Amino acid sequence: MRWPARLRLSPRWAPYVFVSPFVVLFAVFGVFPLGFSLWLAFHSWEPTSGLDAMTFVGLGNFTFALQDAWFWKSLGNTLWLALATGVPQHLVAIPLAVFIHTRVHLLRDAVVGAYFLPYITSTVAIAIMFSSLFSTDYGLINAGLGAAFGTTPIDWLGQPENVKPAVAFIVFWRYLGFNVVLYLAALQTIPKDLYEAASLDGASPWRQFLHITLPGLMPMIYFGVTLSVIGGLQLFEEPFILTGGKGGPDQAAMTAAVYLYRMAFDFNDFGGASAMSWLLFALVAAMTWATNRAFRRRRSTR
Amino acid sequence: MSSGLPQQRWASWSAYALVGAGALVMLAPFYFMFVFATQSRTEIFNLPPPLWFGDDLQANLAILTERLPFWRNLGWSLYVALASTALTLLFCSLGGYAFALMEFRFKGPLFALVMATLLLPSFMNMIPTFMIMDALGWIDEHRALYIPGAASAFGIFLMRQFATSAVPRELIEAARMDGCGEFGIYWRVVLPLLRPAMGTLGLVTFIASWNNFIGPLIVLRSMEQYTLPLALRSLQSPVNTEWGALMAGSAIATLPLLVLFVLSSRQLIAGLTAGAVK
Amino acid sequence: MNRRFLDRSRRRVLRAGLAGALPAMLAAPGRSSAASRSAPSVRLVVAAYPLLDAIVRETLPRWRELHPGVEVQIVSRQYADHHTAMTTALSTSVRLPDVMALEASYVGRFAHGRGLDDLLQPPFSAGAHRAQWVPYAVEQAINRRGELVAAPTDIGPGTLLVRTDLLQRAKVDEGELTANWTSFVAAGARIKAATGASLVSNAQTVKDIVIRSGLQPGEGLYYGADGQVRVQSERFRLAFELAREVRRQRLDARVNAWSNEWAEAFRRGALATELSGAWMAGQLANWVAPGTKGLWRAAPLPASTYVGYGGSYYAIPRQSDPSRKALAWDLIRLLTLDRQRQLEAFRTQDAFPALQAAQDDPFFDEPLPFLGGQPARRLWRDSARRIVARPPHKQDTFADEVVGTELDNVLDRGKSIEAALADAARLLARRANR
Repeated sequence: MRWPARLRLSPRWAPYVFVSPFVVLFAVFGVFPLGFSLWLAFHSWEPTSGLDAMTFVGLGNFTFALQDAWFWKSLGNTLWLALATGVPQHLVAIPLAVFIHTRVHLLRDAVVGAYFLPYITSTVAIAIMFSSLFSTDYGLINAGLGAAFGTTPIDWLGQPENVKPAVAFIVFWRYLGFNVVLYLAALQTIPKDLYEAASLDGASPWRQFLHITLPGLMPMIYFGVTLSVIGGLQLFEEPFILTGGKGGPDQAAMTAAVYLYRMAFDFNDFGGASAMSWLLFALVAAMTWATNRAFRRRRSTR
Repeated sequence: MSSGLPQQRWASWSAYALVGAGALVMLAPFYFMFVFATQSRTEIFNLPPPLWFGDDLQANLAILTERLPFWRNLGWSLYVALASTALTLLFCSLGGYAFALMEFRFKGPLFALVMATLLLPSFMNMIPTFMIMDALGWIDEHRALYIPGAASAFGIFLMRQFATSAVPRELIEAARMDGCGEFGIYWRVVLPLLRPAMGTLGLVTFIASWNNFIGPLIVLRSMEQYTLPLALRSLQSPVNTEWGALMAGSAIATLPLLVLFVLSSRQLIAGLTAGAVK
Repeated sequence: MNRRFLDRSRRRVLRAGLAGALPAMLAAPGRSSAASRSAPSVRLVVAAYPLLDAIVRETLPRWRELHPGVEVQIVSRQYADHHTAMTTALSTSVRLPDVMALEASYVGRFAHGRGLDDLLQPPFSAGAHRAQWVPYAVEQAINRRGELVAAPTDIGPGTLLVRTDLLQRAKVDEGELTANWTSFVAAGARIKAATGASLVSNAQTVKDIVIRSGLQPGEGLYYGADGQVRVQSERFRLAFELAREVRRQRLDARVNAWSNEWAEAFRRGALATELSGAWMAGQLANWVAPGTKGLWRAAPLPASTYVGYGGSYYAIPRQSDPSRKALAWDLIRLLTLDRQRQLEAFRTQDAFPALQAAQDDPFFDEPLPFLGGQPARRLWRDSARRIVARPPHKQDTFADEVVGTELDNVLDRGKSIEAALADAARLLARRANR
């Protein structure tokens, strides 16, 4: 359709027009809350007293947070969970994707679909199912472990040492398929003739994997790992729902995000929660930047 | 590939078995969700839990529809998810295209700001969002759910990445020289090329909107307006949860997502290629 | 390629169409409520959670008789979500309900802010009604400034539920369980030896009761009236020692309340007693372990301790619409001071009345089949009247968890009681004034 010349968008203004719907929404719904939470981080606020109950406390919330045993505990939990979920996910997803890509042809869609399914489940359903599956005396996970390895029933949800692996498993279960799909997509972009040439040269499958597949996957690994870092450090839903919103025995599964939520809505300390969320932000930003640097160096040496 | 050597054949078969077992592990919780949906509350709490379907599906559905306007909630979830997807696709593709291929003031800092919001937990927005919604008069209206979401940081990130790699500048220049208007270029040249990423973003947005319950918790007030996750949660009380009905509701809630996934899984894979090729 | 594009645009058109059609479909039935919204009658908004929402709904016919033309809209949310939404509403003073239901454990937190109206002031003047409610329930809704922030509607008097069949097998008399804690533990050992059943579900439940014993009026649970941390006092030490003894003798089943194992333990007769609120009998009867009907009896808590487990209140937000406050108070009075309504709620939803007048009714003398015909409500009524209130503190929730965690350390990881309580005290002191 051709607009009359007067009404037609000039290339000079087009960017602003195109980007404005997004920017307007973002300014209202993204920036304002950001600013509000920054403002709040420097105030003490009893929320049920209303907006005018905010009192300025300067860096008081930040110093409290940095000296709070639970804050550090939650950061420790977060880092543990981020590593325990992030590393295995990618370590398993890459070979799995390679396997499916090269060997699975018949039921490929079904298999990929099965791995991707956990990603779309609702958290309410997950909570109920896994509480039942992780049940100590009669849950199916203990039953399976007992049948396969003869282990005694493990108290998954009642012991601090066990809650973390339980949560890690659920996160792994939920996002493995997502990463498999990412890597499958990337594998399709590696040209087949590279493999053919390598086979002709007599390279073993393992060497082909190391020198063709891995480098070819590098951009996608970067993308996937960045998402895992950000997601892992902000882990909230799985630990929250599995421990009924509390963080588990000895707060073992209380990630920083869960603690933030509790600070705000269980302990009614919004100022403290805001300060902590900005500290968490600083941490995530630092880790993302570090990931960026690590991959940039890797890529520049290629 | 699989040669005649018995060793290799065995290794091959065990690899298949492993992958197959993994797939079953992925599917097991779903299976139990559907099994529990057909069991009564007491039976679900049996140890060992029931392994096969029971006969309480009718009863569970009855409880579900009696306690909640369930089908209406389902309808609202569908409406909000569809609207959210449509709007997000529109705004993020427009914006992503602009960020990727056009030049304008503050482009860099603006994008950095948008990316920064990815790093903050979303529930910190609850109270300011509530204030805004009230100021706009959107409380208890579904607009409050799908309009803010259209400014998705993830969405614009994905669109920008994809547009950078999938849309050649020469094509745009050519279209411009052919006399195509800016919006025409977007609609006829860029959008078709963005198709795979749109599929991905559409799917991700739909799922996120469907499962979202914090947003509706803040802005919706009447039971008739609730979306599914919120409505289902109201079946949970500290002492008297209707587990069977809850599982039946959750199972039904998962079905549309399953259908959508089956229909669009190809799109998803194609779309996610985009993020890789930077 | 072209066809694919059409697919996409067709899909988008379809989506847009659906987006347009669905609201038309969904809004249609909604028109009736919109119509009533524009009607000139007054509308009260009540925010509640299950099962209070059912109680309010059941009260509506009576309400309509008293106030025809005043519509009541009930906004019901899941228990935790409701309180989160109330926090949000109070924080922005926006879209506040006229009547806000609150559970006992949240009243403390909300009482400290200035978000709720003082019901002792005019036009509410609840002071005149104060004596009609069970004393401890009222006192728990009074904050440090002496304001009554909410009216009690139901309470949960603590009770000891015992499996008489297991007691008989072990030749243990009920009196031994209730005399004092030492005999409670000793009886537990005998029960375990004779029947294999655990005495309690978790040693933590014992700690919960003992720390609430011996409270001086005006003394808070974890923090004293002066704001000092009290976790190193005698009652905590006793509680920890008792719990440790229970665990050492393997008298607890180490199951958490409401978990699968917990429910199953009841069904299989693996638990000899349960220390909880009176409402637990109803839960056991309804769905946890209906098969054990007739095998249970109710008794007072050991060592003459009287403790409350939960309860519900109704409050009026300070910033709610002033023109409706009088009506809101009328509704609250109907729900909490009307003998018929309180009894009705007890009958249908097992909500133990906070109104003392409602407790004088033949209903309380009825035999309870689950408890083998015991008229236990009389027992619970008496227990309720002897519970000592404790002023709530904002950090009570946090303190609950810290003390619980430290007890776990003592029970499972051999930490010394002094060290555990000292660590807990340190954590609590840091937050005393937040």
